This record gives sequence, C-alpha cells and structure tokens, in this order.
Amino acid sequence: MSQRIPLAWLQLKHEKMKLFAAVAGVMVSVVLMWMQLGLMKALFASAVVFHGSMNGELVIVHSQYEHLLHSKVFSSRLLYRLRGSPDVSDVFSIYLAPGEWKNPWNGEMRSIQCYGIETDNASLKLPGIEQHLLQLRNTDVFLYDRMARPRFGDVVGAVERREPVELELNRRRMSLAGVVDLGASFGVDGNVLVSHANFLRLFPERKSGEIDVGVVKLMPGISVVSAQKQFQKVLGKEVQVLTVEQFKELELIYWRSATPIGIIFTAGTVVGFFIGFIVVYQILYTDVTNHLPQYATMKAMGFSDGYLYQLVLGQSVQLATMGFIPGSLIAAAMYAGLRKVTQLPLYMEPMRGVFLIFATILMCTFSGMLAVRKLRSADPADVF
Amino acid sequence: MKTDDSKAIITGAGINFSFGQGELRKQILFDVELAIQPGEIVLLTGPSGSGKTTLLTLIAGLRKLQEGRLDVLGHSLHNASQADLLQLRRKIGFIFQAHNLLPYLTALQNVQVMFDLQPDVTIKEGRERATRMLQQVGLGERMNYHVSRLSGGQKQRVAIARALVGRPELVLADEPTAALDGTSGREVVNLLQSLAREQKRPILMVTHDVRVLDIADRIIEMQDGHLTASSRGSSSAENHPAKGVQNEPDIANVTL
Repeated sequence: MSQRIPLAWLQLKHEKMKLFAAVAGVMVSVVLMWMQLGLMKALFASAVVFHGSMNGELVIVHSQYEHLLHSKVFSSRLLYRLRGSPDVSDVFSIYLAPGEWKNPWNGEMRSIQCYGIETDNASLKLPGIEQHLLQLRNTDVFLYDRMARPRFGDVVGAVERREPVELELNRRRMSLAGVVDLGASFGVDGNVLVSHANFLRLFPERKSGEIDVGVVKLMPGISVVSAQKQFQKVLGKEVQVLTVEQFKELELIYWRSATPIGIIFTAGTVVGFFIGFIVVYQILYTDVTNHLPQYATMKAMGFSDGYLYQLVLGQSVQLATMGFIPGSLIAAAMYAGLRKVTQLPLYMEPMRGVFLIFATILMCTFSGMLAVRKLRSADPADVF
Repeated sequence: MKTDDSKAIITGAGINFSFGQGELRKQILFDVELAIQPGEIVLLTGPSGSGKTTLLTLIAGLRKLQEGRLDVLGHSLHNASQADLLQLRRKIGFIFQAHNLLPYLTALQNVQVMFDLQPDVTIKEGRERATRMLQQVGLGERMNYHVSRLSGGQKQRVAIARALVGRPELVLADEPTAALDGTSGREVVNLLQSLAREQKRPILMVTHDVRVLDIADRIIEMQDGHLTASSRGSSSAENHPAKGVQNEPDIANVTL
C-alpha cells in the first residue's frame, strides 16, 4: 500500500514547533558528528604533514624505526647503492633530532623538531621552500615553521615587520633565513629546517652520513610497488623500504595507540549520533502516542501495519534530510572558522559527507523503528 | 464458506464469546444467532454491557471468533488469518463513536486517504469521488478545511463520507450519534440512511439513541449477551431492495 497523500510530511508540518525541535535536534547531531570526525582526521593529518611532503615515492628508514620521535640512524652509504639504478631519478637523505630552542623574547627553553635536509635539491615538497634553499647553505641559518605553536615566540610577526631574527638553538647562535609551512602536531610543537652541515654543527654528537630518513624519487613511469620490492632486496634487512603512504601509516599507528584522540573523537561522534537519535525518537514517539486512536481507527478500516510503519519511517527520513542539509552548512562554516584560527586541515571531505548522510538516515530510521513499536499497542478492536 | 441463506451477507450461529481467563473469565455473548440481508438497515440496541459492541467487533473481524460460526461478506471468520481479516475489513465502511479523523489533514484529504486501500483507483478519480462524497454529506464548501476547524456534526459527516467513499459492501456504525446533539444526530442518521438506500448498502448500527430508531428496517435487541428480540423497524414499510426480509419471520433469532 503506497501513500498518495504525503501523510508523513503533512503530519510533520502540522505541528511547527515540534518539527522545528526535531530538525534542530538532527542539526545539532549532524554538526557534532562533522566536527568530531573532522577534528579527529585533522589532528591525525597534522601528524603526517612532514611525511606527506616527501619529494619522492619511496622512503627508507631503519628497520627499527617506529615514528619520527623514535627514529634510528642508518648509513647513507646504503643509499648510494640505489643511485646507480636506472629506475631512480634522485635520492635524498634527511637527519632529524629534537633541538633546544631558546625563545628570544622571554628566554624560555622549548624542544623543537630539527630536520637536516639537502640544499642542492628540494627533498621536501613544501610551498616556497625552493627560494630559501640557497640561503640555507650559509653557516648557522635556519628555516622556521610558520605554523609552529606561539610558545616559540612571535617569529612570524618579526618576519612580517622585517626585523632580523637571531636566537639560540642548542646553545648555538642561529639566524632566520625564512619561513615555511609544516605545522605542529601531537609530539611536535614546531619545526626547524637546516642544511646537513648546519645540522651537524647543531648536533656535534651526530656523525656525518648517519641519517634517519632516505627519500627515493623514481623515474617517471616506474612501478612503485615493484621498485619497493627490488630495493628492499638490494638494501637488506637493516632498513625498511616504505611507500609514502606506509610511512604515514606507521606514524598514525603509533599516535592512534599512544593517544586517546581516536577514542575521544569517536565517542564524541557517538554522542552526536545519540543526541539526534533521542530527540527524533522522543518526537516520533509522542507523535505516535498522540495519534494512537487515529492509527487504531486506520487499522480497523483495513490499513496494514506496513502502511503505518511507512508513515512513521517516512517522517524519520524527512527529518534526517531536513536536519542534514543545514547541519552540514553550519559545519562547513565552523570548519572554515577553525581552519583560520588553528591552522588545522579541516575540510568537508565528500567521503565523510556520504558516511554522515548514512549515519543520519540510520539514526532517524532507528528512532523511527523504535517509535513504531508503539503502534502495536494501537488495537483496532478498542476503537469501538 | 457456507451459509444458510445464500443471499444473506452476515450469518452467524452459536456464537459464544468471553473475555479473560480462568476465574476472571466473563462470558459476554451467549449462543448468538443472526442473519442480515443485502440492503438491510439493522439497528442493534440494548443497555450498555449487553454485548452489542463486542458482537460488532466480531462481525468486523477485529476480534478473534472463539466459538460458533460467523460468515461475513463471504469470509468465514472461524480461524481466519490476520490477512484474511484485513481483506474483510477493507470491504467494510466503519463509522465510530469518536470520528478519529486525522487532525493534520483537511476534510478532503481524510476522505481521499481511503483510496490508498484501493490502488486501482487513480489519484484523479479518487479526488473526484471524495469531492462528490463530501458534497453529498453537505460539506462541499468546507472540503479544504482542516478537520480541527469543523464542528462535531461536520466531523461525523466527514467520517461518514470516509466510510462510504470506498463503496463498501457493508457499513458498520457504532453509536454514531452519541457525541452529537439531537439535531446534528438526526441529520447524521438521515444522511446515513439516504446514502445507504441510494448506494444499496446494508448498515448494521449499534445505538441506544431512541430518537433514531425509525430509520431501521429491523431492530435487534440485546440483553446480557443474548439476542432477545427482533422487530421490524418503522422504515421497513417503505419499499427497499431487501425483499427477503419481508418473507422472514420478524423475530429472526431468539435464544434463551
């Protein structure tokens, strides 16, 4: 039995305040779910900005490497074996270590992540890095992370005011050559890029050629997977050859287990889901209860249970739609605002949208199905 | 399906019905026997608690028959399935004491909804028939009013339109005048009678409103679960299609 009069919609529309409350409930729920999932994704994404900026397809790290803060060095001589391969366009090496940053304004010491990179070719794909590479070859200069946390001092402000910035890094006088965008994350509050030579000056205990990360840029058209297998064989068990995605995943695996971020935001999403669920359930349940005599009458007249279920579930789907659209618009505005303030990579990703459409419909359908159970108590024999 | 009288649309015999179980078991109907012919307008009267509404719900397929035989519109109700009862109910036009119209619909929409039970009627045809039906019950001017804006009598007239628009084979009415004042009650009953005559629809109406007894072809009285007397109503003197009635004894079924 299909409905030729839009009963579901007419019933929703009949009580405007209730409709408004239900739609607002779904909206709040949708906004919450967007925010929680978006923030979770953004926080994790911020942990792999460095990984994603590799100017190559394969990454080589020590076999015991776990994540950026738990690295182990290996000899860069291993990389020379790859330079001869016709599949390889370029190979870069990167040193990394946490350095001691002295805030030039208040003298506080802070730990900052330092990367020693090659300066004749860009080993990192960061916007604007090329223009600084030449300067970076000078003695005791560094590039600063524009998106580092403010606790390192107002370096960006000084750059904008065109003031020279000089400060102590690992008790060594350094001067600023420019800024790039990398961003803070869980374990890292900010980043500094220096040349290999300057890195070894900053960290005299580190030996030249004992690197942390190797980056391999393949010739165009070379299969990444087969190159990975081949290089792993050539280099042996001391190192692991990873794709950029695997390199990122290794970092994420660590942070997922080391921080409760995943649990917190997943819980937040579930809370959002339940808020919507309960609001919609309440509204539909009272609606069914209020109309019980009418529904019993319809049953008596020969309308099937299915017809009435369809009526209630139709209302749930309509509430889902009406809440989802404005909820998503609000979320988009909040994403834009937060992106500006926190520099977090918050974007309305289509896949998340699809997921949330399903979550919202599921949420409303669940409430509808629960409310519909009340219909069973509409006994058509009672209307007489 | 077998009936004593092949023309009768309702035949029942030996109907016993009780509510409750064990010691709390209370018998409501005792060995009831009845037959209603096509086109007949039959009133079922009696004091409250006499079992007339229970009998009506049994005929309507709203309660499970416990004992006896009951055939309604060709459906044998003994051990009938839910689906079968649903099919039966779709052939019946119901008018209730409380109109129970959907408050969020207009008068017209309330009547139109009935065609969701008859998918072969097109939307256009359904709207036309609903419109005509509402004009017949005198609500042509108020078809697009929400039912909350109609008076009690007007609502009951919408309910009558809703009951008759699907061209039911039988109309069951339960105290349709109970919630109405004398004048509206009279109007509603007259309307019901004239429409039923026009469409040749049989009506079985439960009522204890003595003011409306004159519309009946036949009046059946109930007392303490027994059909006690059946008398010819004042209306039966007029010519009406159910000839069979006149050939039968006035006292159709008297038990215990």
